[in-house]
Amino acid sequence: MRQADQRQEPAAYERLVYKNASEYHYMKISLIFEKEGKRLEAAFFKQLIISALRDLYGEVGAAFPFDVLKFDEASLTAILRVYSSGLVKLWSALTLLGSYHNESCAVRVTQVSPFLLALSGNSRELVLN
Amino acid sequence: AHLVRISYPGRLRDSTPILKCISPCLQLLPLSRYLLCEIGVSEPASLQLLDERAVYTAVKAAVCRAHGDYGAALSSISFAVKYVNAHTGVVFLRCRKRYYRLIWSALAFITSLDSRGKKIPCFFNCLHVGGTIRTCQKFLIRYNTEQLHRMLPRCRNEAERLEVQKAVRSCSLKCTRREEEEEDEWDEDK
Repeated sequence: MRQADQRQEPAAYERLVYKNASEYHYMKISLIFEKEGKRLEAAFFKQLIISALRDLYGEVGAAFPFDVLKFDEASLTAILRVYSSGLVKLWSALTLLGSYHNESCAVRVTQVSPFLLALSGNSRELVLN
Repeated sequence: AHLVRISYPGRLRDSTPILKCISPCLQLLPLSRYLLCEIGVSEPASLQLLDERAVYTAVKAAVCRAHGDYGAALSSISFAVKYVNAHTGVVFLRCRKRYYRLIWSALAFITSLDSRGKKIPCFFNCLHVGGTIRTCQKFLIRYNTEQLHRMLPRCRNEAERLEVQKAVRSCSLKCTRREEEEEDEWDEDK
């Protein structure tokens, strides 16, 4: 904001909006089962997400490409990568995911960001010494 | 139409005037698209079993398979089978303008129709997408005349040739019903 502008016009500001920050969006999610202590393999996990997409968006939706970048079997957390145009579809399908082989489960979305580096840490888990 | 300039001073960097049209806006009407489709079957006799209910359930099931719950719900907003012709296999489907692509893409996945307990293997061929039934009718007339022109060189005897020429000459919007009857006569001659 320049001094000349402030004198001439009141309350003018400039906002820069980037339409395409990044081609991909990254999501950090965790899968929670009603029953404790359930373990899952990465392939089953991906199949679970694809079946959720198929329920909501059909064959066309299930064919949308996304990747499971990291999957932790013990804590059932994963990092997914999806094209930015498909983020809304993937997120809504994860929200409506209810059961896996007749067992109730839910997906908690911890973090979503267009940049992978942002998923390396967040202020909730920050430990200040 | 009256045009009014409205400007918001101080809010934007350069006060851009916003033009507002006050006259009654026709875009408030729900816009629809009419899909003109042709059903192709292996045996022409099984076309007689065609009815609106069979086409409706088949299209809905195909959209549900292809586009899921989301697609099924969106496409069924004011979805209707407007017209079915059991003799020629022509079908008019109506849907919302915004979501006609969901139905259009799902038509390719229909492999059979279930009518009165019998399964008819068929395929859907979308010929035209129009905004009103009248434009679709006009296209259908043009399309049928082109088909008849293509049939003319393949006529086997003089009687058939005369029939086809008579049918071509009588093609017009008012004579739709008569033209379709003549086509049926020609089919029965075969």
